[in-house]
Amino acid sequence: MKLKAFLWDHISSLTASVLAAVFAFEFFCALCNEVYAGAYLAAIILLAEAVALTLEYLKKRGFYRSVTQSLDKLDKKYLLAEVLKEPSFEEGKLLYEALRESEKSMNDEIAKYRQKSQEYREYIETWVHEIKTPISASRLILENNPGEISSGLEEEIDKIGDFVEQALFYSRSESVEKDYLIRETTLHKLVASALKKHASLLIGAKAAVHADGLDRTVFTDIKWTDFILGQLLANSVKYRNGPLRIRFFGEELKNGCALTVSDNGIGIPEQDLPRVFDKGFTGENGRRGAKSTGLGLYLCKKLCNKMGLGLSICSKPGAGTAITIIFPKSNMTASLTKL
Amino acid sequence: MAVIFLVEDDQKIRTELTKLLKKYGYECDSSDDFANIVEIILKRKPQLVLLDLNLPVCDGFCICRELRRRSHIPIIVVTSRDSETDELVSMDLGADDFITKPYNTQILLAHITAVLKRTNPQKVPGTVNYRGLEVDFAKSSANGPEGSTELTKNELKILGLFFSARGRIVTRDEIMNTLWQSDEFVDDNTLTVNINRLRRKLESIGVRDYLVTKRGQGYRI
Repeated sequence: MKLKAFLWDHISSLTASVLAAVFAFEFFCALCNEVYAGAYLAAIILLAEAVALTLEYLKKRGFYRSVTQSLDKLDKKYLLAEVLKEPSFEEGKLLYEALRESEKSMNDEIAKYRQKSQEYREYIETWVHEIKTPISASRLILENNPGEISSGLEEEIDKIGDFVEQALFYSRSESVEKDYLIRETTLHKLVASALKKHASLLIGAKAAVHADGLDRTVFTDIKWTDFILGQLLANSVKYRNGPLRIRFFGEELKNGCALTVSDNGIGIPEQDLPRVFDKGFTGENGRRGAKSTGLGLYLCKKLCNKMGLGLSICSKPGAGTAITIIFPKSNMTASLTKL
Repeated sequence: MAVIFLVEDDQKIRTELTKLLKKYGYECDSSDDFANIVEIILKRKPQLVLLDLNLPVCDGFCICRELRRRSHIPIIVVTSRDSETDELVSMDLGADDFITKPYNTQILLAHITAVLKRTNPQKVPGTVNYRGLEVDFAKSSANGPEGSTELTKNELKILGLFFSARGRIVTRDEIMNTLWQSDEFVDDNTLTVNINRLRRKLESIGVRDYLVTKRGQGYRI
């Protein structure tokens, strides 16, 4: 609260005091010809006003300063009333009450939406769970009736399965709860499981797989990482350029472990690279060739962020793409290893 | 022949899974009476139980617990609930393995063989004879009319797949998938090398024209 603004706010009372002082001075001068008495009285009136205003200013400044400062510091601004002390003056009390009321109604509103999104998420989880039974049944039927039609349908069923899984992880990535489970595993186990799961897709694309340095322990959620690796493999197949070669490379870093998945695909244009992790970004490759949803890498990044893993990309058009996942090794995980 | 009991409430999956597992040389058994399923399983004495978690009457966890309390039958839990807790609870209750739906059939078969091998080693055939070739899976060797030869892990896997296919045409993709499921991520060229070497080995022990190429389709024995 600026002094000038404060005084401007109290302009009427200031004017009144000044007028009262002038009038008192004039009164004594004209009536009793007592210049000193008039001046004395005027000075007292003005002094009283100045003292009153200063006291009020100090009191209000304390409160409003704490309001603006807390507002700056707060991450969730609607919680302001929570950190304020109730002021001693009436105006402040009114404001304080209003803030408390609005905070409460905001909290109610948030709870309502949280509940709704929780319900929606539960519905998605159940739906994904239910849809898997018909998908499994369809796969078995196709497997038992081999033929041209079946193998064509099998590919489509695989795609449906992948989209369903993406929906599940999308809903998980949006939720605020921590529903992952960090466990100890090795890079080799993670890569082998993803390769096995996507064997048909990769074999169909005539992929040659090389792996190096995967004998390292990491801490992560196994299912989530499996999904992330699956997305990367699917991208490698989708954007391949001739015979597909995929290389997995693990290396020890100072504060963790890095897993790089690189391919010899069409690569990503330089101007698109900074945006590949953005939601809905499809870029030049997405427009030109294979259909792209702009969700795969976005989800990978989001899930990595939630688990505290690093994810970075480097690519050269015509040469290929390399994606690196960094598994940090904190002091806590180090002590866990010792146990 | 190993008997697998399917605890699964979806009729379609049950029939199709039975067909599929028969193709790979397993007998299947199942029942609709979910209220007394534990009794039925114990009476039929299967070598393995494939257990779905989501069931009418009582859920898979409770069946798993009850089965484990009363017998050592190997149990593979199959579920579409893709969560870590389900897996941990199943393992805690004594399940031997855990697979999530929708599974790749090769993955399912690999898990079944692995669990059977671990739990009843004597049930897994030591030697198999087919059209003049005898393969000893325990010693990883092949015997023919003109002698015997050592087989590599990959060659053993490939012959195992051909034996379970029993005269059916096996595609190259299927062979590769089987190898991939046992952690051998071979590519197309390596497979050709493997097949050619296997053919030469078989010829050296007097087994000729065993792996027949079906152009554009795959191989057959």
